[in-house]
Amino acid sequence: MATVAVEVVYRGIYQRTLARNIVRSIVFAARKEGKIGTAFGRYGDSPERNGIPAKQFAIVADTPEELEENLAVYEAQEVDVTINVDDTMCKGIESWAWYGLEPINKLTKPGGTLIVTSRQPAEDLIQDIHQRSEPFNLSIIPSTASFSGLWVYKDDHTDMRILGALCKVCPDLVSLDSMMAALKDQGTSDVKLSSAQKAYDRTTQRPVEPGEGSTEVPFSFDLPGWKSMEEGLVIRGIEQGGGFRGGQEGYQPARNAVFKKWSTRSMRPVVNFETCIKCTLCWLQCPDTCFDVTPDGLFDANMESCCGCGVCESVCPVPNCITMVNEAEFNDNNSEWEAWQKDANSYKQWMTALVEKQQAAGERSHGFHHVGGYAEEIANSRDS
Amino acid sequence: MTSVQDLPQVRGVKNIPVEEYFTSGHRTCQGCESALVMRLMVKAAGQRTIVLGSTGCMYVANTTYYSTPWVVPWMHTQLGSSGSAATGTAAALASMMRKGKMKQEPINVIAFCGDGGGVDMGLSAISAALQHDEYNLLIICYDNESYANTDIQVSGSSPWGANSTFSPPGKVHRIMNKRWKKNTAPMLAAGHPDCKYVATTCASYGLDFTNKIRRALTIGGPTFVHCFDPCPKGWDYDPKYSHELGMLGIETGLWVLYEIVNGELVLNGPSRTIAKGIRQRKPVEEYLMRQGRFAHMTKEDIKFFQEKVDESWEKWWIPGLIPFGEKEEA
Amino acid sequence: MTTTQTQLFQTEKEELISGSEAIAIACALADVDVITAYPIRPYDTVMQYVSKLKADGAFDCDFIVAESEHSQFEIVKHASAVGARTFCGSSGVGWFYAMEAITVTAGLRLPVVAMVGNRALDDPGAFGVEHNDALAVRDLGWMLYWVATAQEALDTALLAWKIAEDPRVFLPFAVSCDGSFLTHSQAIVRVPDNKKVRQFLPNYNRGKLQLHPDNPITVAPQVNEDWLMEIRRQTNEAMLRATQVIPEAYDEFKQVFGRGDPSPWIEEFMTEDAEIVLVGMGTLAMPVRVAIRRLREQGKKVGFLRVKFFRPFATEEIRNALSHCKAVGVIDRDYSYGSPSFGGVLFNDLRAALYPLQRHPLMLSFIAGLGGREVMVRDVNQVVDMCQKAIDTGKIEQENTWIAVRE
Repeated sequence: MATVAVEVVYRGIYQRTLARNIVRSIVFAARKEGKIGTAFGRYGDSPERNGIPAKQFAIVADTPEELEENLAVYEAQEVDVTINVDDTMCKGIESWAWYGLEPINKLTKPGGTLIVTSRQPAEDLIQDIHQRSEPFNLSIIPSTASFSGLWVYKDDHTDMRILGALCKVCPDLVSLDSMMAALKDQGTSDVKLSSAQKAYDRTTQRPVEPGEGSTEVPFSFDLPGWKSMEEGLVIRGIEQGGGFRGGQEGYQPARNAVFKKWSTRSMRPVVNFETCIKCTLCWLQCPDTCFDVTPDGLFDANMESCCGCGVCESVCPVPNCITMVNEAEFNDNNSEWEAWQKDANSYKQWMTALVEKQQAAGERSHGFHHVGGYAEEIANSRDS
Repeated sequence: MTSVQDLPQVRGVKNIPVEEYFTSGHRTCQGCESALVMRLMVKAAGQRTIVLGSTGCMYVANTTYYSTPWVVPWMHTQLGSSGSAATGTAAALASMMRKGKMKQEPINVIAFCGDGGGVDMGLSAISAALQHDEYNLLIICYDNESYANTDIQVSGSSPWGANSTFSPPGKVHRIMNKRWKKNTAPMLAAGHPDCKYVATTCASYGLDFTNKIRRALTIGGPTFVHCFDPCPKGWDYDPKYSHELGMLGIETGLWVLYEIVNGELVLNGPSRTIAKGIRQRKPVEEYLMRQGRFAHMTKEDIKFFQEKVDESWEKWWIPGLIPFGEKEEA
Repeated sequence: MTTTQTQLFQTEKEELISGSEAIAIACALADVDVITAYPIRPYDTVMQYVSKLKADGAFDCDFIVAESEHSQFEIVKHASAVGARTFCGSSGVGWFYAMEAITVTAGLRLPVVAMVGNRALDDPGAFGVEHNDALAVRDLGWMLYWVATAQEALDTALLAWKIAEDPRVFLPFAVSCDGSFLTHSQAIVRVPDNKKVRQFLPNYNRGKLQLHPDNPITVAPQVNEDWLMEIRRQTNEAMLRATQVIPEAYDEFKQVFGRGDPSPWIEEFMTEDAEIVLVGMGTLAMPVRVAIRRLREQGKKVGFLRVKFFRPFATEEIRNALSHCKAVGVIDRDYSYGSPSFGGVLFNDLRAALYPLQRHPLMLSFIAGLGGREVMVRDVNQVVDMCQKAIDTGKIEQENTWIAVRE
């Protein structure tokens, strides 16, 4: 072997420490085998924004020269393993300073592996992942996405499980023994080491054949050159908005045509239009201007702008009128209000099923809630 | 002085204008309260507005080249230049309109800065802008209590003890930021007696916010609004609580809502009811314990924090505003 | 314009004024909209005259005394973005204090015109002339011009708005004036009449780049590596286009006012048959000319080339002017510690410009007149002697020499 490259695709800030733990541990483990490596976060993702997809890399080689060969291009052009630590990013990712939706498996080498932490079955994940012409492998670590904040880390062993699984699916990288030895050097407890061991023992791979997966053509954007860019650092502002869906009534803001924020979203609001009291708070308090005002004075969250922060849910005074639901449950960005207008009963059934499922699954945490909160969450997840 | 627009006070949250002048295309964090400030600010101001934005999150994350969320004209200004940007823009409009080089009409000029740009670096230029009473302009400081864009470094507006990448709690020094938050709005109000309007606000109170922006834009001359902005990234909390933490900051008495209109102080919202004794201040612990940036604090730290807040309400000449008083005669 | 303003400048006339006053009058003639001031010697004399013109009703502008140089330049930058004609200036460390605003002005492609009253940089504090202040912006997209007389100061200011505000250019323009020798010395200056100035210099039109509710644009969003090279390239092209626009503007100036210099780029004095050509910028020209006249009387073939535009640099014109002489002595009123040959800033740019020539003259660097020290005729003679020695021996013993410095 010459060089092995691993990328960790993660949600900005929430999973920064997690990603960092993973890429650094890979390099330490490689040292145990006399190899050399490097670990780094993509500079273009910095400063990170909460929830916006970002990447960190670990590159390991037998010799410094081989490592240099790989680093001549700063950002890896292909990787042996892609680790996706939030399954909702299987729908594609867009970094905060970039244009265009990048498939989650874009850099995964033919025959390489995509590791995903997810509670979904492989078939559901594959539906979301953009299809490609070469085969690759999918490996699932059964767990809920682990989100922390900037200062307090939720130490739920997700990093251990991923490292264990990684040694299994990519034996060329490092052996499990080397990984364990490196983790031990860093003062990792036996309980955590056993999580790595368990993941190693249990992890399997499923081949994904060419043509399997989502047929969506990801949004792409051709960058103009200096001759066609406006001078004076000028770009044209957004048009003024108007009536809902182009009509006379209601209101719909014009929206940015080249940047859609939705790959930031790991949950989305589901609205019960029948219990809505039109208090306007969801619309008013949305930092992303994502609610369109319908002709009947209701508020329809536009899924091209919504980044899933959940403020609308928390300001809504009516119980269960707005519920944040796991993004993995959805296959499109269609209007909920239109679906409800078309067939209120079907909408109600669909909505009720989603809300109940979400409530049964428990809270999908987006970080810190209160001091000591992570300890409780981790204890609860162990109990279950 | 040039004339101002007719922007009436809004009665009732349901009468806030529906038109949007800050829409999608920005790349701020989930639950970014400062993005909401931008949105509500131009919603209150309307289309005939020029916005100048100094460096910070609301520049870097908001306007990423070839993409913009702004419907109204917008221009970047340097970190410490919100005061100068507003002055230059307002002066150009005044001069060109007076000389017949531009159509006469009142155009709102709003310059925004974060706490890094306003409370720290740009304070001198803001102070200068507030002296030019011939220009109509508004400077709004969105205070998320750190240099959030550059990855959360402590600023002069950060709370005592808060974790930041420049004030990490360590093995020897638990509290690295020993500065108490700067008292910016009262300093500007006291220091510029000809400035007709200085106010504090918080986007959690959408109506209060909207009306303060409108009053600032219509009273004439330079004005300053200081906005308290919960930051899910730097404060470390689930972004869905942005709204709630804004309210908690005020209900605990850490942030005081008021406006100083033509030399008269009016407390607003919960701050008013707290001052009148109708409502009790919530303990600061309720606020502190909800944020990862304070997770390292001990009971003693929280007690100290509470005492400082108590002092600002009980011992200050004007509670929450003016920290000194007349010496009592012996 | 105010009535007084119109009346005051109704007919062309002669005035006895300093370089600073000449530029202040140019501001009134150009009907500048927004001017910002902050005190620092020696440039601030221009603002003293501007404020007096305004106070007397001879000039209608928004005159703002800023609270720092940084704000001074930020204010005009923003005024210019809205479409106002602007002017400001500074000196020495004041110019450096404003440097952030100065560099973004070029990046934003805003045609701000500024006067630099050249002054030595602190520490130690010193009021006298050195060119290092203005030269600091040589790589940033500012056009940079050194004037030698009060008349040239007035004319260049008018040309500065003309060139900077040309939509093909849209770059800021710094008129550099030597502290004391130009800013504070009075000379007879022909002040053109209003009507002709209006003809030469119509209102600034920012066009589709104007920041106004009728033209809702977003200006200067954050960029990453996907964009910045293209943006830098645009600015480079604008500077390249300036090299076409500048001669056009000078031609028009001559047509409208019936006078003007033969070349916008350089001024040549007795260079035609010169074996030794001295090169310098600014007011240095006067003592050098005096020295050369005397040397010519002694039969020495010496000439002088004054570089007027330092940016854009007149590569072709300078090559043509210097390709036939045997030695070039560059007198820099600046320093560049640790530079190639420890030569001055002008010297090293000039040497680079001549490098592609088949036949190079011998090139010697001289540092003189720092901190306002006068460059005397005897100093010029010393420079010429050293150049002659290099010609005679065919080699340069010392590439860089500090002139009239005590040991």
